[in-house]
Amino acid sequence: MASRANKIRPIRRPIMNREASEFEPCWNLLRDALSDIHSKNAGRLSFEQLYRASYKIVLRKKGEVLYERVKSFEEDWFREHIMPLITKLITNNIVNMTLIQHAGTSASERRQTGERFLRGIRDAWEDHNMSMNMIADILMYLDRSYTIESKKPSIFAATIGLFRNHILRDTIPSVAEQLEEDFMVFDILNAVVVDLINMERDGDIVDRNLIRKITSMLEDLYETDEEIENQKLYLLVFEPRYLQASLIYYKKECEKLLREADASTWLRHAQRRLKEEQDRCGTTVSILTAYKVAKVVEKELVEAKLDEFLAMEGSGLKAMIDNDRLEDLAILYQLISRVDGTMAPLKNALQSRVMDLGLEIEKMVRNTDFSVAGAGQADADEAGDGADKSKMQPLNTAAQQTAAAIKWVDEVLQLKDKFDNFWSNCFNRDLVLQSAVTKSFSDFINAFNRSSEYVSLFIDDNIKRGAKVKTDAEVDVVLDKAIILLRYLSDRDLFERYYQKHLARRLLHNKSEIDTEKDMVSRMKSEMGNHFTTKFEGMFKDIELSRDLGDNYRDHIRQLGDVDTTKIDLGIHVLTTNNWPPEVMGRGDGGRVDCIYPPAIKRLQDSFYKFYLKDRSGRVLTWVSSAGSADIKCTFPKIAGKESGPLSKERRYELNVSTYGMILLMLFNDVGENESLSFGEIQGKTSIPPLDLMRILASLSIAPKARVLLKEPASKSVKPTDKFSFNAQFVSKTIKIKAPTISSINKVEGDEERKATEKKNDETRAHIIDAAIVRIMKQRKTLSHTKLTTEVITQLQSRFKPDVSLIKRRVEDLLYREYLERIDGEPATYQYVA
Amino acid sequence: MATKSDGPSNSKYITMVSSDGFEFVVIREASLISPTIKAMLRNNFSEAKTGRCVFPDISGLVLEKVVEYLYYYHKNVNVPYVPDMEIPVELCLVLLEAADYFQLDSVTVGTAFRSMGDTLKF
Repeated sequence: MASRANKIRPIRRPIMNREASEFEPCWNLLRDALSDIHSKNAGRLSFEQLYRASYKIVLRKKGEVLYERVKSFEEDWFREHIMPLITKLITNNIVNMTLIQHAGTSASERRQTGERFLRGIRDAWEDHNMSMNMIADILMYLDRSYTIESKKPSIFAATIGLFRNHILRDTIPSVAEQLEEDFMVFDILNAVVVDLINMERDGDIVDRNLIRKITSMLEDLYETDEEIENQKLYLLVFEPRYLQASLIYYKKECEKLLREADASTWLRHAQRRLKEEQDRCGTTVSILTAYKVAKVVEKELVEAKLDEFLAMEGSGLKAMIDNDRLEDLAILYQLISRVDGTMAPLKNALQSRVMDLGLEIEKMVRNTDFSVAGAGQADADEAGDGADKSKMQPLNTAAQQTAAAIKWVDEVLQLKDKFDNFWSNCFNRDLVLQSAVTKSFSDFINAFNRSSEYVSLFIDDNIKRGAKVKTDAEVDVVLDKAIILLRYLSDRDLFERYYQKHLARRLLHNKSEIDTEKDMVSRMKSEMGNHFTTKFEGMFKDIELSRDLGDNYRDHIRQLGDVDTTKIDLGIHVLTTNNWPPEVMGRGDGGRVDCIYPPAIKRLQDSFYKFYLKDRSGRVLTWVSSAGSADIKCTFPKIAGKESGPLSKERRYELNVSTYGMILLMLFNDVGENESLSFGEIQGKTSIPPLDLMRILASLSIAPKARVLLKEPASKSVKPTDKFSFNAQFVSKTIKIKAPTISSINKVEGDEERKATEKKNDETRAHIIDAAIVRIMKQRKTLSHTKLTTEVITQLQSRFKPDVSLIKRRVEDLLYREYLERIDGEPATYQYVA
Repeated sequence: MATKSDGPSNSKYITMVSSDGFEFVVIREASLISPTIKAMLRNNFSEAKTGRCVFPDISGLVLEKVVEYLYYYHKNVNVPYVPDMEIPVELCLVLLEAADYFQLDSVTVGTAFRSMGDTLKF
C-alpha cells in the first residue's frame, strides 16, 4: 500500500490571492446544503458540487475554519430544532415515573409513556444519524486531510457526538431543581428501557424493536469523540445499569421462588429465564450483553440459593433422586454446569445421597426379618432347599443371613442402576460426577465389613439359580453387575477367599453349570488380572482332570472284570491342595480326622489308589470325607400286618447323603432289626467328628423327608445321649431322596467364623506385605519409611488396602529377621540386607 | 443510500461527465473503487438519483485516464504482477490532482500494491 509518507501533496498554485474571496461562496453553498440535508431535501443537491466546495476549501488551507463552522452550525441546529422536541418529551410524568419512582402508576400507563419517550429519542436519533452520515460524506475530503493532520475527531464523530453531549447528557434545570439533584436525560432513558424490559420479564408485551433501536444507538455512540472501541456508551453506561437492574430483579424473583415454589418449579423457571435472556439479547438488548446477563441470572437465580433449593423437603435433590425425576435432574445438571465447572454442589449432594442410601440399605438389611422365608424374594426361588431350611431350626438363621446378603447386593445393584440411569440420561455422561458417585459407592460398600462375602454369596446364588431357572441372558446380566460391584471392593483378597470357598462347594456338589462358572472367572480375569484367578482356574482344571480320571478308572475296572466292586460306582475329585480352600481340604482348625470307612468302601479306595499311582508314582492321596457325597440304594422291608398302602410291599429308595451319612447308614446294615446304636457307639465305630456326626444324624432322623433313622427320645435336636435305630417303616413319595445337608449350602458366616476368616486373611496379608517390602527394598536398596509405605500401598492396591500399622509391624519383623537394617544417623530409613 | 427504485439509482452502469461534455458510461462496480464516487452514490443526492456524475473541473482527457484506471484496477484487483498502466508524461501532474480528488491514492491493486499515485511517481 502506498504509505502515508509517500503522499503527494497538491501543488500550490499561484492563486493565493483568490482564496479569501472563494471561501465564503463555498461555505454559503455548504451551509445551505446542511440545512437542506437536515430538512431531508438533499435530493436536489449535487454531491459533486458540495464535495468540490469542501475540497476547494481544504485545498486553500481553510480546513480548520470549515471544521469549526460545521461544528457550530450543527450545534446551533441542534439547539434550535432538536432540543425543543426532546424537552417536550421529558414530561413530569416520565420524570416521576423513572427518577422518583412514584408508586401508583399502572404498568400499561408506564409502558405507554416510556415507549412514547423512547420513540421520540429514536426518531431524533435516526434523523441525526442519517444527516450526519451524509454531511460526513460531503465533507469527506476534510476528514481525509485536515482532520487527520490536526489529529481531531472526524467530522462525523464530532457531530454525532452532539447527540450525546446535548441530549443524553443534558440536564433539565426545572427537574433538577425539583429533585435537588443533577440528572441527565440519559438517566431517564436507561430507567425507561430497564423498566420496559422488566415489564417484559413480568409478561407484558413491549416494543422490542424500539428498544433495540435505542440500544444500538448507544452502541454507536462513544464516551468521547475519539471513539475508542471499548468506550461505547452502551458498554460504559447502559450495560452496567441494565445488569444491575437484572441482578435486583432476579434476586427478588429468586427469593420469591424460594418462599413460594418448590425446587422443581425453580429449575424450570431458571431454565426458562436463561433462555429468555438469551433471546432478549438477540432481539431487544444487544448480543454484547448475552454472556454477562446470563452470568447475572446464573448467579442470582441459580447459584445464590442453590443449596436451599437442593435441600428443599419434598422437591429438592433428595426427592429428585428418590423419585427418579429425570427431567429435574437433567435441568439441574445443565444449570449447575453453567455456574460451576467443578460441579461441586451437585457432586457433593450426590455423594452424600449415595452414602446415605447405601447405609440405609445396610440398615434395612440388618433390620429386616428374613425369617419369613417364603416371603423373602431371594428364598422363594430356592424352593426345594428353602422349604426345608426354614423348617429346620439350626439352618434358619443361616438361611436368613444368606437371604439378607442377597437382598443387600440386589439393593446395591438397584441403587447403582438408578445412578447409572441418572448419569447417562441426565448428567450428559459427566466424568467428574461419574467418578464422584463411583467413589461414594466404593466408600459405602467398603464401609460395610461384609461386602466381600455378600458379593460372593450373591454370585453363588445366581450361578446356582442360573443352573435351574434363569436363562443365559439373565445370568449374563447379573454376572455383569456382580463384576461392577467387584470393582468397588477394595479388599479383593478377602473376596477371593470367599469366592474360592463358595466355588469349591459349587463345583464339588455339582451345583452349577461349569460354563457359567468359567465365564464368570474369565470376566474376573479381565477385570482384576491373572493372579486373581489362578486358583479358580486350577480348581476347574482339577475338576476336569478328575472327570477323565474317573472315566479311565471305570474302564480299568471293567477290563479287570472285577464284578464285586462294580456295585459301587466311584466318582472322584482329585484336588490340588493349594487351589482349594483349606476348609474343604480338611485343613481347618481341628486338623483332619480320618474316619473309619466301611470295608467295601475301603476296598474301593485302595483299588483306586493303586490305579492312580500307576501313572503318577510318589503322589499322596488323602481322602477328604467331609466334602463328598454318596447315592445309596436302600431297601425297606414289607411291614408285617399291613395289607394295603405303601407299607404293604417292599420299598426301594435312592438316598443322596454326604460321605459321613453314607458311612453312618452302612453301619446300620450290620445292626439287627430292633437293635439301636447310641451316639457314642456310632462315633466310636466311625470316628466322624462329633459336630459333623450330630449334623448328619439330625438330617437323617429329624427331617421328615429323609427320616430313615429313628431317634430315641424323639426330640427336635440331637444330643450325645440319644439312641438311633433303623426306621423300617420309612415311606417316601419320591424314589430319589436328598438328605438335607448343611455343608452344601453356602451361607453367611457366623461371627465366630468371620473372625476366623479375617484372621486367616490377615495372616495371608502379612505374607503378601512381606513379599512386597522385600521386592521393593531389593530394587531400591535404601528407602525412607514413608516412601516404603506408599510404595507398598500402591503395589498392593489392586488386591487390598494394606493397613499402615500392619505394614509397620511387618517392617519391624523384617528388621528383626535381618532382611532389612536401619541406617545410622538417618532415622526411619531402611537398607536392604543382601 | 441508493433507494431501491427502478431506473438509474440501481442500474449496473453510471455515467461520468467531463467539463468539456465527454460522457463515460462506467460499470457501477468499477466506479465505486473511488471513495469519492462511492460516497456520491450512496447518499440521497442528485447523482444517486440520476446515475449521472458531472465533474465540471475535470477535462475529458483526464477523466478518460481516470476511467481507464478504474477499469484497470477492477480487472486486476486479484491478479499478481500486473504491468504498470501507460501514463503519458504530460498528463502526470493533472492526473495526480485528479487522483487526489477521487481519493484513489490509497486503493490497492492486487499484490503489486500499485496505486495510481505510485504509478505516477517516476
